[in-house]
Amino acid sequence: MAEQGDQTFRVKVGPAENPVTLEVHPAAGDLKPWDNDSRLRAVKGRHSRLEAPQKVTGRAKYTYDVQLPGMLWAKMVRAPIPAGKIVRIDTAKAERLKGVKAVWTTDAKLVRFAGQDIAAVAAVSQEIAEDAARLVDVQYEATPFITDLEEAMTPTAPLVYAEGQTPAPPNAPRKGNVAGPLPPAAVGGARGGTRGDIEKGFAEADAVHEATYRLRVHTHSVLETHGIVAYWEGDQLTVYTSTQGVFMVRAALAETFGLSRNKVRVISEHMGGGFGSKLYPSAVGSAFAIVACRLARQTGEPVKLMLDRFEEQLCTGNAPGALMTVRLGAKKDGTLTAIHYRAYTEGGIGQSARTGAPAGSMYAQCPNVKLEEYDVFTNAGPTCALRAPGHPQGAFGLECAMDELAYRLGMDPLEFRRKNDTHPFRKTYYDVGAKTIGWERRNRVHGETPGPKKRGIGMAHGNWYVLFREAVAAEVQVHRDGSVELFHGAQDLGTGIRTALAVIAAEELGLQPADISVHVGDTRFPPGGTSGGSTTTNSSGPAARLAAHEARMRIAGLAAPLLNAKPEALEFADGKIFVAANPERQISFREAAQKMPGEVIACLADRKRQFEAFRQDLAATQFAEVEVDVETGVIRVLKMVGVNNCGTPINLLTAENQMIGAQIQGASWALFEQRTLDRNVGTMVNPNLEAYKILGPADMFEAVPIFTEGANAGNNTSATGMSEPVFVPTLAAIANAVYNATGVRLRQLPMTPDRVLAALAEAKKGGKS
Amino acid sequence: MAKHPPEDTPDRLTVSRRTFLKTVGVGAAATGLVGAVPGPAQAKILGPDAIPLALKLNGVTHTVIVEPRVTLLRALRNHLGLTGAKEVCERGACGGCTVLFDGEPICACLMLAADAVGHEITTVEGLGTPEKLSPVQAAFVECDAFQCGFCTPGFIVASTALLNKHPNPSLEEIKAGLSGNLCRCGTYSRIFEAVQKAAKQRG
Repeated sequence: MAEQGDQTFRVKVGPAENPVTLEVHPAAGDLKPWDNDSRLRAVKGRHSRLEAPQKVTGRAKYTYDVQLPGMLWAKMVRAPIPAGKIVRIDTAKAERLKGVKAVWTTDAKLVRFAGQDIAAVAAVSQEIAEDAARLVDVQYEATPFITDLEEAMTPTAPLVYAEGQTPAPPNAPRKGNVAGPLPPAAVGGARGGTRGDIEKGFAEADAVHEATYRLRVHTHSVLETHGIVAYWEGDQLTVYTSTQGVFMVRAALAETFGLSRNKVRVISEHMGGGFGSKLYPSAVGSAFAIVACRLARQTGEPVKLMLDRFEEQLCTGNAPGALMTVRLGAKKDGTLTAIHYRAYTEGGIGQSARTGAPAGSMYAQCPNVKLEEYDVFTNAGPTCALRAPGHPQGAFGLECAMDELAYRLGMDPLEFRRKNDTHPFRKTYYDVGAKTIGWERRNRVHGETPGPKKRGIGMAHGNWYVLFREAVAAEVQVHRDGSVELFHGAQDLGTGIRTALAVIAAEELGLQPADISVHVGDTRFPPGGTSGGSTTTNSSGPAARLAAHEARMRIAGLAAPLLNAKPEALEFADGKIFVAANPERQISFREAAQKMPGEVIACLADRKRQFEAFRQDLAATQFAEVEVDVETGVIRVLKMVGVNNCGTPINLLTAENQMIGAQIQGASWALFEQRTLDRNVGTMVNPNLEAYKILGPADMFEAVPIFTEGANAGNNTSATGMSEPVFVPTLAAIANAVYNATGVRLRQLPMTPDRVLAALAEAKKGGKS
Repeated sequence: MAKHPPEDTPDRLTVSRRTFLKTVGVGAAATGLVGAVPGPAQAKILGPDAIPLALKLNGVTHTVIVEPRVTLLRALRNHLGLTGAKEVCERGACGGCTVLFDGEPICACLMLAADAVGHEITTVEGLGTPEKLSPVQAAFVECDAFQCGFCTPGFIVASTALLNKHPNPSLEEIKAGLSGNLCRCGTYSRIFEAVQKAAKQRG
């Protein structure tokens, strides 16, 4: 991949205990990446977030907190039925209500899910907007619908899309509500999908395991609902919005309203969670942002439109449910000979809810793999990305099946993984994780713990990819008084990018992260990417490092004459600049800055091209210990140990926090969460946060996050993403622990008490499973 | 987790949302106006138009003119500029809007602003400032006890109330004390650490 003008560096990368030397070729102007030998002061430290004081005192302003003079409140009206024709929308009563300033109605003629956009009102108060929304009178002609995955696959099921209108890639066959098998996926498939000959593989196998696994639709349930505050000044549109991509929103609004991009400003200074649901200008199942901008233009006033929790659960996306059949074959010694993965996924009216990538790429040395992925359409809100889209589901099927096959072979599940896994980082994870959880404590005979509370230990692993965005830039300004500001447009989802950029700049400038003011989440700042796919730190960080490095060189140029040394002979640390060979000769960063000719040194840097990396895929392993009460069916997670490598963890304090978050979200999916649709009326039964239960403090377990050492190269910080791979194996790890505890296999999530008791009763009836 | 407004407040006005739902049933609640609800004999009937309410917030009395149906949470957020408390579920399931009501943690989304008259309301803004953090706030910062931070004001207030009652809580007491609050980013273990740290700090 080397190009003209590239540099050549040799760097030490890979697992610290077994590193390799890699030759990399960064573009001209880029820096030698940090590697295993780099001595870093700020990076890999534990730094509290720069915005923390604002967040803990209620001062941080989220989109939801924005109030502007003269601001109107908007409220949307949503379809209460899952399928039908829109006969008439009468807004007359709503418009007559005192305080109502504008209304909007949809052009759509058909309803395909309960929760679809129908109309909106803007009024002088939140309460009047809600009253007015209730006064919008809509007449529907209901048509047959289908909400259940298995029923939607039957030939007589009502069609979600009319014949010929079913969305699917052009080369995917369609039949009824089913589209597929889908063509190989761009992500995952390209890294090892269907290959070899599975029939040959199964013929070679000494043991074959086949089972069907099922999990339900999960919603993102972000705490800050989707929303926007929009206002126009002439043809200049400014919006505050809770988004994972301010530049993506700007591009979409500019296009929708026929504006050039310099007429649109998008701000998201703080945002209350996304998890993939805020990767759209509005949301995957709503056009609320466009509607709010229209209402604002119509009224000439700022308009605030925040979805409520009910709406949030219906139209802002979800993780698809899946019905997966996994068939695995292995030889007596544990060598995998074939993987056959077939999945029907339930993405509502949305498409490409793929789950096959883990089966296609996790066991790269398995020669025979076949993936079959099908979309099944139902009359429900559309699916969208949710934290490693499709991977936690696919890994649940694959990694439970691996566990089952290991036991069938009479092998330790961990040894079975070791046998088939070539990923160099995972070798370490297995050792570290097994030691930390106490793998040797697991039951040799399942369910052998005496008494009704059975304990067990399980593990699973997961994968993701090194993804990145290159069209990114950052600006560092050093003021004459020595203070430093960093500007970068990407938004902070709560992952701590603001602080990560400060840490990187502090490393270059020899300062503390807290010395640097970082401004993010605004299209007026240098471009940042959309935050999705675990890409922000390893996309934005390298640009911040380059900008800070340029500032360092400029400051070194000012300091050099004072220290009677060459600029390249100077080191920066602890707010000081000193001669590397003679640290006594030093001045403060501030003194050097005061020598600048003007008032500010401003350094803008583009991220350079991605270059060679140790690995292009990411791996994570999770171990879980659970306790199952076989009398009540209640499962408690007692402990989770996660092991991951993210190249360079820029800020360990926040990286560990994300790992813990993945464990909690995983336990929440495994034990509690499921969207429930009423199959008789087609609406969501639990569009809230009490019946759509997410894990709370009382359910909490001991969470242990571990990051292993080892740089990855690829960019000048050597960082990779991490939030997604650590989530992927959580579901299977917990399900495998439940099996180890009880000897009963639960192949359906969530493992609610009713399902646990039913599985236990079934096992009793049919003898041990 | 005493998250629902106390029912026995002496000068409690006609209805809270909760008693209102109890009285007239959920169906009517969707369209009804508070003023139309038959209350206890001694209850005052307010509204339906906006009325002035004197609210004692963080030690200072503010007068706000709102419709009687406006919740304490919306009065704080939409009319008084105190946006720390968040409306997340709007039905007392998540604790995102927790404030102190005479020192007790309540969900501000479940109380009418009119019912808060005559009581001391403390919001997250009243517990500390970015320059002068309370021990709980400082501990949340040090332990990195949040990610997106949207649930944080509620957890800070609930943790403060917990420590006021149990200055040295066990882990189980912390879990129970905070069980009315939800965090979607998944930072509970960090929050527990922060509460333990703050307990030590407060000594």
